[in-house]
Amino acid sequence: MTALLEVEDLHVWFELPHRGELHAVQGVSFSLDPGERMGLVGESGCGKTTSILALMGLLPPNASVQGRVRIDGVDIMAGGEESIRPHRWREVAMVFQGAMNALNPVQRVGTQIIEPMELHGFASGDAAVRRTGELLELVGIPAAAADRYPHEFSGGMRQRAAIAMALACEPKILLADEPTTALDVMVQAQILELLKSLSAELGLALVLVTHDLPVVAQVCQRAAVMYAGRIAEAGPIDVLFHEPRHPYTRLLFAATPDLYGDQQVVSIPGAPPRLDQEMVGCPFRDRCDVVMDVCATVDPALVDVGVDAGPSHLAACHRNDVVSSV
Amino acid sequence: MKITAEPGVVPDLDRPRGRGGLLWDTIRRQKAASVGAAIIFTFLILAVFAPLLAPSGPRTQVGPVYGPLSAQHWLGLDDGGIDMVSLLFYGARISMIVGAAAALVATVIGGLIGITAGYVGGRVDGFLMRVTDYFLVIPDLVLMIVIAAIWGPALTHIILVIGLLLWTSTARIVRAQVMSVRERVYVKRARSLGCSHLRIVFRHVLPQIAPLLIANVVLTVAVAIFDETALAFLGLSDPTAISWGTIIEHGFLRQAVSYGAWWAIVPPGICVALLIMGCYLFGQAIEDALNPRLKVAHLSIKGFKVRPADGGKP
Amino acid sequence: MAVRGTDYVLKRLFFALITVFVAVTINFVLFRMLPGSAVANLARVPHASPALKAELTREFGLDKPMWQQYVIYLGQLAHLHMGVSWVSDSHQPVWHYLRGKLANTIPMAALGTAVAIVIGIASGVLSAWRRGSKSDHVSTNIAIAFYAVPTQWLALMLLILFAGVLPANGMHDPFAVGASGWASFVDTMKHMILPSTAFALTLYGEYTLIVRSSMLETLGEDYVLTARAKGLSSWAVVRTHAARNAMLPTTTLIALSLGYIVAGAILIETVFTWPGIGLATYQAVVSQDYPVLQGTFLILTISVVFFNLLADLLYYKLDPRISA
Repeated sequence: MTALLEVEDLHVWFELPHRGELHAVQGVSFSLDPGERMGLVGESGCGKTTSILALMGLLPPNASVQGRVRIDGVDIMAGGEESIRPHRWREVAMVFQGAMNALNPVQRVGTQIIEPMELHGFASGDAAVRRTGELLELVGIPAAAADRYPHEFSGGMRQRAAIAMALACEPKILLADEPTTALDVMVQAQILELLKSLSAELGLALVLVTHDLPVVAQVCQRAAVMYAGRIAEAGPIDVLFHEPRHPYTRLLFAATPDLYGDQQVVSIPGAPPRLDQEMVGCPFRDRCDVVMDVCATVDPALVDVGVDAGPSHLAACHRNDVVSSV
Repeated sequence: MKITAEPGVVPDLDRPRGRGGLLWDTIRRQKAASVGAAIIFTFLILAVFAPLLAPSGPRTQVGPVYGPLSAQHWLGLDDGGIDMVSLLFYGARISMIVGAAAALVATVIGGLIGITAGYVGGRVDGFLMRVTDYFLVIPDLVLMIVIAAIWGPALTHIILVIGLLLWTSTARIVRAQVMSVRERVYVKRARSLGCSHLRIVFRHVLPQIAPLLIANVVLTVAVAIFDETALAFLGLSDPTAISWGTIIEHGFLRQAVSYGAWWAIVPPGICVALLIMGCYLFGQAIEDALNPRLKVAHLSIKGFKVRPADGGKP
Repeated sequence: MAVRGTDYVLKRLFFALITVFVAVTINFVLFRMLPGSAVANLARVPHASPALKAELTREFGLDKPMWQQYVIYLGQLAHLHMGVSWVSDSHQPVWHYLRGKLANTIPMAALGTAVAIVIGIASGVLSAWRRGSKSDHVSTNIAIAFYAVPTQWLALMLLILFAGVLPANGMHDPFAVGASGWASFVDTMKHMILPSTAFALTLYGEYTLIVRSSMLETLGEDYVLTARAKGLSSWAVVRTHAARNAMLPTTTLIALSLGYIVAGAILIETVFTWPGIGLATYQAVVSQDYPVLQGTFLILTISVVFFNLLADLLYYKLDPRISA
């Protein structure tokens, strides 16, 4: 049975202005079923935002992409910009960081929500206006607010409006890039609850990109931890917390005393490796507290380390080879 | 004639870097900047070495009125029978001197006002910015004409008149930069160590705003040259001075067009245009390099590339 | 929200009035207060009879203290008394003289400016959209070239190139006496072609550069990425989102170019002997007709302030963040 969203071996390179290229995403793979909510976690610069931008083909002209992105079995990436464009907003939509600027300040909110509906032939005229009102009510904003301009909304309301806008064409997949970073804690909790309930009610698959672990815990069932452009570990949330199989995951979660509180990720000493140079071995080895000799020479593969018959739990660490070989 | 570019954000460098680094970087990397610099430099050489390079003197009659192009006189002769090529060489001197001097006056005034407004803030800032706004709106050239007409024709007058009206863009840009730099950590540190305000301005603020200031000076020179050419055309410049502007003025007044002597008018205009272009290219390239908002573009003609699955590049 | 909007309009109106006041005061200082100033120094009035001198002294209060002169001056301005021309035989009142000249300038300048704005916006938007491409480089460099070229030289070039083909002098054919209304109108239009073209060419370069720069900044905004994410084509994004937003700073910057328009008027009218207020300024300079020179300065400055105010109001209309 094919999953709703299948990402296979996704690579993204950025051409640098004066020579060379940055390998921002290095072979990311994951899949999502309808109604599933997955978190994509990591430090800034780890490639999580680039990955989801790549899913919608929202990359600059100096970018090169490789890999397969399948929605309902159809590879939308194969033909580049032209093949992806029809799928935008229709099957996969996005909520950006800080709806402060993501909404056009000189257009009414309602107009911006109707725009994709008419563009994709989803609804037009009165039907579109009605649907806009319904969407706004769905996210907890009075329908009359459609006539207002973005600057008249508070930060939280703006983000809700952005979510309503994302749902305009009934997409199957919603990508959210740090949707609550710029908001205060109370509003944050509300928005996250909203995303969770929308996903449950509408069967929406959700990819939530964030550096904030409690956020992931509140909303998602699964998470993938990214480091230096690759997935270090992926699996159900509580498994990652209780039985992490990658030193990075362990350090991340251990550094967060109360997972259900409002702690930010505490940074681990050292810095991620440069992505413009090919790296041999494990990218985490310079900051790892349990590094071994083999880590410097052999790339750890992402392998299944889960207990049989449970949901898949993948990790890319040589330590697991040691364990399983015992 | 004014391009009022929005003040860019000063890049937050850990330590105040000398201006040499950023400038040379931009010149090397941006084609526009190097072309502009090359043009400016060429004219500079022509002006400085005019007596050596020019075929004859700027007041020496070598032929008839409006003599045509010939092998000895590549650009013909003007209304006084003087070789046009020589006139252009010598004209470069006054045009560039007036342009540079006026820009200097404007920069000093604008810099002082900008630094004071940005650093002191509060009421002083409010007042100075009001004044700047008034001068921004009042049409420059008209006021220059009026002042020059009353004051009388002299090069120093022209320099001061132009300089007194071109400081507004400098003041705005400097003020914006100073305000942003004022909040930087190392400035606050210096304050807490007891550094005097003057010392802070000179040692910390100025080096940070230097690249943008240089870009602004160059752009001001361009406008100053344009204004000098216009004032000269209207007869308000020193009649004994030879600048590209006065050459065009003489051509106009002495009916060069009726004589069909286009060479008395076309070349000096091309020189002015080239030099202004050079200044604009250079100055604007630096300003653009310092403006981070111009670096990101979410839209472009070319799309991203897709690599085939076998790993080879398309 | 309405209060904020009206607030803005009132503030801009007040600013416009103060600026006019500043200009008026500068005028007074230059012409009356400075040593050897033009009006006070009656010796400068050519062929001034004792009667005229006495008349001038009385009218301007030249024997009164400076502050009183200032008050008299303001009062006179309010009644549009700008003195009389020293040059024309009939010593024509300045305002009546310049009023007609201004009426000649406006259609010619307006036509040129309108064409320049249209071409400037079109080429600026296209250049920004196709940033880095060959057409962008060509368009931008041509714009820079036209921006750099001295206005009077550009006018002279047109004169040289088209003198035989199009009328290049004045506003009317001096030999077409008693022509019908329509023929006279066509004649004026024909005379307007070269000066308006000079206007358009000298202005469009700067506008292209302003619009392009404004567009480039807009294209880096997040809502442009959102629009692209919705599935709009590049051109649709430019048309519906970017262009509108880029027009906001563009309006402001075009307003700042009004001074340049005025300068252009003076230079172009001089070359083509177009009987407008620009030519009047030039003639006043040449003949040292200071009352007229003062008059042109005031009229031109007030025009610029007025159009600036219009631009402010337009901005207010376009930006919902202010008008709500």
